[in-house]
Amino acid sequence: MNLLEGEVRPGFRAPDAGDFVFPSIFGDSVLTTKPVVLVFFSVILISTFFIASSRKALVVPSKIQFAGEMVYGFVRNEIGKDVIGSEFQRFVPFLFTIFTFILTNNIFGIIPLIQFPTMSRIGFPVSITIFVYLTYHFVAIRKHGLFKYLKDMCFMPGIPKFMYVILAPLELATYFLIRPLTLAMRLFGNMFAGHLLLILFTLGGEYMLHDKLIMQLFSVFSFGFSLGFTFFEFFVQCLQAYIFTLLSALYIAGALADEH
Amino acid sequence: MASKDEGAFWNIISYLIAGMGFWGAAGALLDNFLKTQIFVFIGIFLGLFLSIYLIWVRYVRSDPGNLGK
Amino acid sequence: MTGTLGIVGFGLSTIGPGIATGLIFAAYINGVARQPEARSILQPLAFLGFALAEALAILGLVLAFVLK
Repeated sequence: MNLLEGEVRPGFRAPDAGDFVFPSIFGDSVLTTKPVVLVFFSVILISTFFIASSRKALVVPSKIQFAGEMVYGFVRNEIGKDVIGSEFQRFVPFLFTIFTFILTNNIFGIIPLIQFPTMSRIGFPVSITIFVYLTYHFVAIRKHGLFKYLKDMCFMPGIPKFMYVILAPLELATYFLIRPLTLAMRLFGNMFAGHLLLILFTLGGEYMLHDKLIMQLFSVFSFGFSLGFTFFEFFVQCLQAYIFTLLSALYIAGALADEH
Repeated sequence: MASKDEGAFWNIISYLIAGMGFWGAAGALLDNFLKTQIFVFIGIFLGLFLSIYLIWVRYVRSDPGNLGK
Repeated sequence: MTGTLGIVGFGLSTIGPGIATGLIFAAYINGVARQPEARSILQPLAFLGFALAEALAILGLVLAFVLK
Protein backbone atom coordinates (compact mmCIF):
# COMPACT_ATOMS: atom_id res chain seq x y z
CA MET A 1 0.00 0.00 0.00
CA ASN A 2 1.40 3.32 -1.01
CA LEU A 3 1.41 5.80 1.84
CA LEU A 4 1.57 8.82 -0.43
CA GLU A 5 -1.36 7.82 -2.61
CA GLY A 6 -4.42 10.00 -2.72
CA GLU A 7 -6.51 12.20 -4.93
CA VAL A 8 -5.64 15.84 -5.58
CA ARG A 9 -7.66 18.18 -3.37
CA PRO A 10 -8.14 21.94 -3.39
CA GLY A 11 -5.85 23.90 -1.09
CA PHE A 12 -6.54 24.46 2.56
CA ARG A 13 -8.42 27.67 3.31
CA ALA A 14 -7.10 29.12 6.56
CA PRO A 15 -9.77 30.64 8.83
CA ASP A 16 -9.84 34.44 8.93
CA ALA A 17 -11.96 37.26 10.31
CA GLY A 18 -14.79 36.22 7.97
CA ASP A 19 -15.38 33.18 10.16
CA PHE A 20 -16.56 35.50 12.92
CA VAL A 21 -19.45 36.88 10.86
CA PHE A 22 -22.66 34.93 11.19
CA PRO A 23 -25.82 35.15 9.11
CA SER A 24 -29.04 36.06 10.86
CA ILE A 25 -31.07 33.16 12.20
CA PHE A 26 -34.56 34.65 11.58
CA GLY A 27 -34.99 36.98 8.63
CA ASP A 28 -32.20 39.50 8.18
CA SER A 29 -32.43 41.41 11.44
CA VAL A 30 -29.16 42.24 13.22
CA LEU A 31 -30.81 41.29 16.49
CA THR A 32 -30.92 37.58 15.74
CA THR A 33 -27.33 36.82 14.73
CA LYS A 34 -25.50 34.25 16.80
CA PRO A 35 -23.49 36.65 19.04
CA VAL A 36 -26.57 38.71 19.95
CA VAL A 37 -28.60 35.58 20.69
CA LEU A 38 -25.74 34.36 22.86
CA VAL A 39 -25.70 37.64 24.79
CA PHE A 40 -29.43 37.34 25.54
CA PHE A 41 -28.93 33.71 26.46
CA SER A 42 -26.09 34.63 28.83
CA VAL A 43 -28.27 37.25 30.53
CA ILE A 44 -31.03 34.67 31.07
CA LEU A 45 -28.48 32.14 32.31
CA ILE A 46 -26.84 34.52 34.78
CA SER A 47 -30.16 35.85 36.12
CA THR A 48 -31.59 32.35 36.55
CA PHE A 49 -28.49 31.11 38.33
CA PHE A 50 -28.16 33.97 40.78
CA ILE A 51 -31.89 34.23 41.49
CA ALA A 52 -31.92 30.48 42.19
CA SER A 53 -28.85 30.74 44.38
CA SER A 54 -30.13 33.64 46.47
CA ARG A 55 -33.89 33.11 46.63
CA LYS A 56 -33.98 30.77 49.58
CA ALA A 57 -30.93 31.93 51.47
CA LEU A 58 -30.15 29.71 54.43
CA VAL A 59 -27.62 30.02 57.20
CA VAL A 60 -26.21 26.67 56.20
CA PRO A 61 -25.97 27.21 52.42
CA SER A 62 -27.13 24.71 49.87
CA LYS A 63 -24.78 23.80 47.02
CA ILE A 64 -26.11 26.35 44.55
CA GLN A 65 -26.20 29.06 47.17
CA PHE A 66 -22.63 28.27 48.09
CA ALA A 67 -21.53 28.54 44.44
CA GLY A 68 -23.27 31.87 43.99
CA GLU A 69 -21.87 33.25 47.21
CA MET A 70 -18.39 32.12 46.27
CA VAL A 71 -18.45 34.11 43.02
CA TYR A 72 -19.96 37.13 44.76
CA GLY A 73 -17.48 36.90 47.61
CA PHE A 74 -14.59 36.70 45.19
CA VAL A 75 -15.60 39.89 43.37
CA ARG A 76 -16.50 41.68 46.59
CA ASN A 77 -13.39 40.86 48.60
CA GLU A 78 -10.59 40.16 46.14
CA ILE A 79 -11.45 42.86 43.63
CA GLY A 80 -13.70 45.40 45.34
CA LYS A 81 -12.38 45.58 48.88
CA ASP A 82 -8.68 45.15 48.14
CA VAL A 83 -8.53 47.67 45.33
CA ILE A 84 -11.13 50.38 45.93
CA GLY A 85 -10.89 50.56 49.72
CA SER A 86 -13.38 52.15 52.09
CA GLU A 87 -16.03 53.16 49.53
CA PHE A 88 -16.08 49.84 47.72
CA GLN A 89 -19.63 48.80 48.59
CA ARG A 90 -21.16 51.22 46.09
CA PHE A 91 -19.31 49.66 43.16
CA VAL A 92 -19.68 45.98 43.95
CA PRO A 93 -22.91 45.49 41.90
CA PHE A 94 -21.28 47.14 38.89
CA LEU A 95 -18.10 45.07 39.14
CA PHE A 96 -20.07 41.90 39.80
CA THR A 97 -22.22 42.45 36.72
CA ILE A 98 -19.19 43.06 34.53
CA PHE A 99 -17.36 40.02 35.88
CA THR A 100 -20.17 37.50 35.51
CA PHE A 101 -21.25 38.85 32.12
CA ILE A 102 -17.76 38.69 30.61
CA LEU A 103 -16.98 35.34 32.22
CA THR A 104 -20.15 33.70 30.92
CA ASN A 105 -19.75 35.11 27.43
CA ASN A 106 -16.09 34.09 27.29
CA ILE A 107 -16.73 30.55 28.44
CA PHE A 108 -19.25 30.15 25.61
CA GLY A 109 -16.13 29.81 23.48
CA ILE A 110 -15.31 26.32 24.71
CA ILE A 111 -18.76 24.91 25.48
CA PRO A 112 -19.59 22.26 22.87
CA LEU A 113 -22.35 23.20 20.37
CA ILE A 114 -22.08 26.90 21.24
CA GLN A 115 -18.34 27.41 20.73
CA PHE A 116 -18.24 31.10 20.09
CA PRO A 117 -16.88 33.63 22.59
CA THR A 118 -19.18 36.61 22.19
CA MET A 119 -16.41 38.98 23.22
CA SER A 120 -14.51 38.18 20.02
CA ARG A 121 -16.80 40.64 18.25
CA ILE A 122 -15.38 44.10 18.98
CA GLY A 123 -18.77 45.72 19.63
CA PHE A 124 -19.37 43.94 22.93
CA PRO A 125 -16.07 44.83 24.66
CA VAL A 126 -16.42 48.39 23.40
CA SER A 127 -19.87 48.81 24.89
CA ILE A 128 -18.77 47.44 28.26
CA THR A 129 -15.75 49.73 28.14
CA ILE A 130 -18.01 52.73 27.51
CA PHE A 131 -19.83 51.99 30.78
CA VAL A 132 -16.54 51.70 32.68
CA TYR A 133 -15.19 54.88 31.05
CA LEU A 134 -18.28 56.92 31.92
CA THR A 135 -18.32 55.51 35.45
CA TYR A 136 -14.79 56.36 36.45
CA HIS A 137 -14.85 59.83 34.95
CA PHE A 138 -18.26 60.55 36.48
CA VAL A 139 -17.12 59.35 39.91
CA ALA A 140 -13.98 61.48 39.76
CA ILE A 141 -15.76 64.62 38.54
CA ARG A 142 -18.44 64.31 41.21
CA LYS A 143 -15.85 63.84 43.92
CA HIS A 144 -13.23 66.42 42.93
CA GLY A 145 -14.96 68.72 40.46
CA LEU A 146 -13.99 68.88 36.80
CA PHE A 147 -11.30 71.53 37.13
CA LYS A 148 -9.48 69.97 40.06
CA TYR A 149 -9.69 66.54 38.42
CA LEU A 150 -7.96 67.77 35.28
CA LYS A 151 -5.44 69.78 37.27
CA ASP A 152 -4.48 66.81 39.44
CA MET A 153 -4.22 64.66 36.33
CA CYS A 154 -1.89 66.95 34.41
CA PHE A 155 0.27 68.54 37.10
CA MET A 156 1.87 66.17 39.51
CA PRO A 157 4.30 67.52 42.06
CA GLY A 158 8.04 67.13 42.00
CA ILE A 159 9.10 67.59 38.39
CA PRO A 160 10.65 70.62 36.64
CA LYS A 161 8.17 73.25 35.42
CA PHE A 162 8.99 73.05 31.71
CA MET A 163 8.31 69.31 31.68
CA TYR A 164 4.62 69.94 32.32
CA VAL A 165 4.21 71.27 28.77
CA ILE A 166 5.19 67.96 27.20
CA LEU A 167 3.96 65.62 29.92
CA ALA A 168 0.44 67.02 30.37
CA PRO A 169 -0.85 65.96 26.92
CA LEU A 170 0.64 62.55 27.56
CA GLU A 171 -1.32 62.18 30.79
CA LEU A 172 -4.51 63.42 29.14
CA ALA A 173 -4.06 60.98 26.26
CA THR A 174 -3.50 58.14 28.74
CA TYR A 175 -6.62 58.87 30.78
CA PHE A 176 -9.00 59.73 27.96
CA LEU A 177 -7.85 57.62 25.00
CA ILE A 178 -5.37 54.86 25.76
CA ARG A 179 -7.00 53.43 28.88
CA PRO A 180 -10.39 52.66 27.30
CA LEU A 181 -8.67 51.60 24.08
CA THR A 182 -6.39 49.08 25.77
CA LEU A 183 -9.21 47.89 28.04
CA ALA A 184 -11.41 46.98 25.07
CA MET A 185 -8.61 45.76 22.81
CA ARG A 186 -7.13 43.43 25.43
CA LEU A 187 -10.36 41.52 25.93
CA PHE A 188 -11.22 41.51 22.23
CA GLY A 189 -7.74 40.50 21.11
CA ASN A 190 -7.42 37.62 23.55
CA MET A 191 -10.81 36.17 22.67
CA PHE A 192 -10.38 36.70 18.93
CA ALA A 193 -6.90 35.17 18.78
CA GLY A 194 -7.81 32.24 21.02
CA HIS A 195 -10.89 31.35 19.01
CA LEU A 196 -9.01 31.76 15.71
CA LEU A 197 -6.28 29.39 16.91
CA LEU A 198 -8.86 26.82 18.03
CA ILE A 199 -10.72 26.78 14.72
CA LEU A 200 -7.43 26.79 12.79
CA PHE A 201 -6.24 23.59 14.43
CA THR A 202 -9.63 21.91 14.32
CA LEU A 203 -10.18 22.72 10.64
CA GLY A 204 -6.57 21.80 9.86
CA GLY A 205 -7.00 18.42 11.52
CA GLU A 206 -10.26 17.86 9.69
CA TYR A 207 -8.56 18.73 6.37
CA MET A 208 -5.67 16.36 7.06
CA LEU A 209 -8.08 13.58 7.99
CA HIS A 210 -9.40 13.55 4.43
CA ASP A 211 -5.92 13.48 2.91
CA LYS A 212 -3.25 10.81 2.36
CA LEU A 213 -2.63 8.21 5.05
CA ILE A 214 0.54 9.87 6.35
CA MET A 215 -1.41 13.10 6.79
CA GLN A 216 -4.17 11.23 8.60
CA LEU A 217 -1.59 10.01 11.11
CA PHE A 218 -0.37 13.55 11.67
CA SER A 219 -3.90 14.91 12.08
CA VAL A 220 -3.89 13.32 15.54
CA PHE A 221 -1.38 15.96 16.63
CA SER A 222 -3.53 18.74 15.24
CA PHE A 223 -6.62 17.49 17.08
CA GLY A 224 -4.55 16.85 20.20
CA PHE A 225 -3.21 20.37 20.15
CA SER A 226 -6.66 21.85 19.70
CA LEU A 227 -7.93 19.77 22.61
CA GLY A 228 -5.05 20.83 24.84
CA PHE A 229 -5.45 24.41 23.77
CA THR A 230 -9.11 24.27 24.79
CA PHE A 231 -8.04 23.86 28.41
CA PHE A 232 -5.53 26.69 28.08
CA GLU A 233 -8.28 28.78 26.49
CA PHE A 234 -10.50 28.18 29.53
CA PHE A 235 -7.73 29.57 31.72
CA VAL A 236 -7.29 32.61 29.46
CA GLN A 237 -11.04 33.27 29.44
CA CYS A 238 -11.27 33.30 33.23
CA LEU A 239 -8.13 35.42 33.47
CA GLN A 240 -9.39 38.01 30.99
CA ALA A 241 -12.69 38.39 32.84
CA TYR A 242 -10.72 38.87 36.06
CA ILE A 243 -8.30 41.37 34.52
CA PHE A 244 -11.07 43.43 32.95
CA THR A 245 -12.88 43.68 36.28
CA LEU A 246 -9.66 44.36 38.17
CA LEU A 247 -8.69 47.20 35.85
CA SER A 248 -12.19 48.70 36.08
CA ALA A 249 -11.83 48.64 39.86
CA LEU A 250 -8.35 50.17 39.61
CA TYR A 251 -9.56 53.02 37.42
CA ILE A 252 -12.43 53.71 39.84
CA ALA A 253 -9.96 53.58 42.73
CA GLY A 254 -7.68 56.02 40.91
CA ALA A 255 -10.62 58.35 40.34
CA LEU A 256 -11.52 58.26 44.04
CA ALA A 257 -7.94 58.76 45.25
CA ASP A 258 -7.09 62.14 46.67
CA GLU A 259 -4.13 62.89 44.46
CA HIS A 260 -3.48 61.36 41.09
CA MET B 1 -2.08 39.32 47.04
CA ALA B 2 -1.70 43.03 46.72
CA SER B 3 -3.96 43.74 43.80
CA LYS B 4 -3.02 47.39 43.60
CA ASP B 5 0.45 46.52 42.38
CA GLU B 6 -0.91 44.48 39.48
CA GLY B 7 -2.45 47.60 38.02
CA ALA B 8 0.95 49.24 37.72
CA PHE B 9 1.99 46.90 34.91
CA TRP B 10 -1.03 47.77 32.80
CA ASN B 11 -0.58 51.45 33.59
CA ILE B 12 3.05 51.24 32.45
CA ILE B 13 1.95 49.77 29.12
CA SER B 14 -0.71 52.48 28.78
CA TYR B 15 1.84 55.21 29.40
CA LEU B 16 4.24 53.76 26.83
CA ILE B 17 1.56 53.50 24.15
CA ALA B 18 0.30 57.00 24.98
CA GLY B 19 3.78 58.50 24.83
CA MET B 20 4.80 57.00 21.53
CA GLY B 21 1.34 57.27 20.03
CA PHE B 22 0.71 60.90 20.96
CA TRP B 23 4.09 62.41 20.09
CA GLY B 24 4.47 60.11 17.08
CA ALA B 25 1.10 61.30 15.78
CA ALA B 26 2.13 64.92 16.43
CA GLY B 27 5.33 64.28 14.44
CA ALA B 28 3.38 62.66 11.62
CA LEU B 29 1.06 65.65 11.47
CA LEU B 30 4.05 68.00 11.28
CA ASP B 31 5.53 65.83 8.53
CA ASN B 32 2.28 66.06 6.64
CA PHE B 33 2.35 69.87 6.67
CA LEU B 34 6.07 70.33 6.01
CA LYS B 35 6.32 67.46 3.47
CA THR B 36 9.21 65.91 5.40
CA GLN B 37 9.88 62.40 6.67
CA ILE B 38 11.90 62.88 9.84
CA PHE B 39 9.58 64.36 12.49
CA VAL B 40 7.55 61.21 13.00
CA PHE B 41 10.67 59.37 14.16
CA ILE B 42 11.77 62.28 16.34
CA GLY B 43 8.28 62.24 17.86
CA ILE B 44 8.33 58.50 18.49
CA PHE B 45 11.68 58.62 20.27
CA LEU B 46 10.74 61.76 22.20
CA GLY B 47 7.57 59.99 23.33
CA LEU B 48 9.57 56.90 24.26
CA PHE B 49 11.88 58.86 26.55
CA LEU B 50 9.07 60.97 27.98
CA SER B 51 6.98 57.96 28.89
CA ILE B 52 9.92 56.21 30.53
CA TYR B 53 10.60 59.44 32.45
CA LEU B 54 6.95 59.57 33.53
CA ILE B 55 7.06 55.94 34.69
CA TRP B 56 10.25 56.71 36.56
CA VAL B 57 8.60 59.66 38.33
CA ARG B 58 5.40 57.75 39.06
CA TYR B 59 6.56 54.31 40.09
CA VAL B 60 10.30 54.27 40.71
CA ARG B 61 11.31 57.55 42.31
CA SER B 62 8.34 57.94 44.65
CA ASP B 63 8.38 56.30 48.07
CA PRO B 64 8.10 52.52 47.85
CA GLY B 65 5.15 52.27 50.20
CA ASN B 66 2.84 54.17 47.87
CA LEU B 67 3.22 52.30 44.59
CA GLY B 68 0.69 51.44 41.93
CA LYS B 69 -1.84 54.10 42.75
CA MET C 1 -1.49 35.59 1.13
CA THR C 2 -1.98 39.28 1.72
CA GLY C 3 -0.83 41.60 4.47
CA THR C 4 2.01 43.85 5.53
CA LEU C 5 5.54 42.70 6.22
CA GLY C 6 5.60 45.22 9.08
CA ILE C 7 3.22 43.01 11.06
CA VAL C 8 5.65 40.10 10.70
CA GLY C 9 8.40 42.42 11.92
CA PHE C 10 6.28 43.34 14.92
CA GLY C 11 5.80 39.66 15.68
CA LEU C 12 9.55 39.11 15.56
CA SER C 13 10.24 42.19 17.65
CA THR C 14 8.04 40.93 20.49
CA ILE C 15 10.21 37.84 21.06
CA GLY C 16 13.02 39.77 22.73
CA PRO C 17 10.86 41.81 25.13
CA GLY C 18 8.84 38.67 25.91
CA ILE C 19 11.93 36.81 27.04
CA ALA C 20 13.21 39.91 28.84
CA THR C 21 9.97 40.37 30.80
CA GLY C 22 10.08 36.72 31.80
CA LEU C 23 13.65 37.02 33.05
CA ILE C 24 12.93 40.23 34.95
CA PHE C 25 9.99 38.77 36.82
CA ALA C 26 11.78 35.48 37.42
CA ALA C 27 14.58 37.41 39.10
CA TYR C 28 12.11 39.60 41.01
CA ILE C 29 10.13 36.64 42.32
CA ASN C 30 13.36 34.87 43.26
CA GLY C 31 14.55 37.89 45.16
CA VAL C 32 11.29 38.40 47.04
CA ALA C 33 11.06 34.68 47.85
CA ARG C 34 14.54 34.66 49.33
CA GLN C 35 14.15 37.90 51.24
CA PRO C 36 10.54 39.10 51.58
CA GLU C 37 11.52 42.36 53.31
CA ALA C 38 13.44 43.42 50.20
CA ARG C 39 10.17 43.69 48.27
CA SER C 40 9.87 47.46 48.61
CA ILE C 41 13.37 47.92 47.19
CA LEU C 42 13.01 45.38 44.41
CA GLN C 43 9.57 46.41 43.17
CA PRO C 44 10.51 49.81 41.67
CA LEU C 45 13.49 48.16 40.00
CA ALA C 46 11.24 45.48 38.52
CA PHE C 47 8.85 48.19 37.27
CA LEU C 48 11.72 50.09 35.66
CA GLY C 49 13.11 46.99 33.98
CA PHE C 50 9.65 46.01 32.82
CA ALA C 51 9.08 49.48 31.36
CA LEU C 52 12.40 49.47 29.51
CA ALA C 53 11.80 46.01 28.05
CA GLU C 54 8.18 46.71 27.18
CA ALA C 55 9.15 49.98 25.48
CA LEU C 56 10.93 47.97 22.78
CA ALA C 57 7.84 45.87 22.10
CA ILE C 58 5.65 48.95 21.76
CA LEU C 59 8.33 50.61 19.61
CA GLY C 60 7.96 47.62 17.29
CA LEU C 61 4.18 48.07 17.28
CA VAL C 62 4.42 51.77 16.41
CA LEU C 63 7.09 51.23 13.73
CA ALA C 64 4.98 48.47 12.16
CA PHE C 65 2.33 51.12 11.50
CA VAL C 66 4.72 53.92 10.51
CA LEU C 67 7.13 52.15 8.15
CA LYS C 68 5.58 51.16 4.87
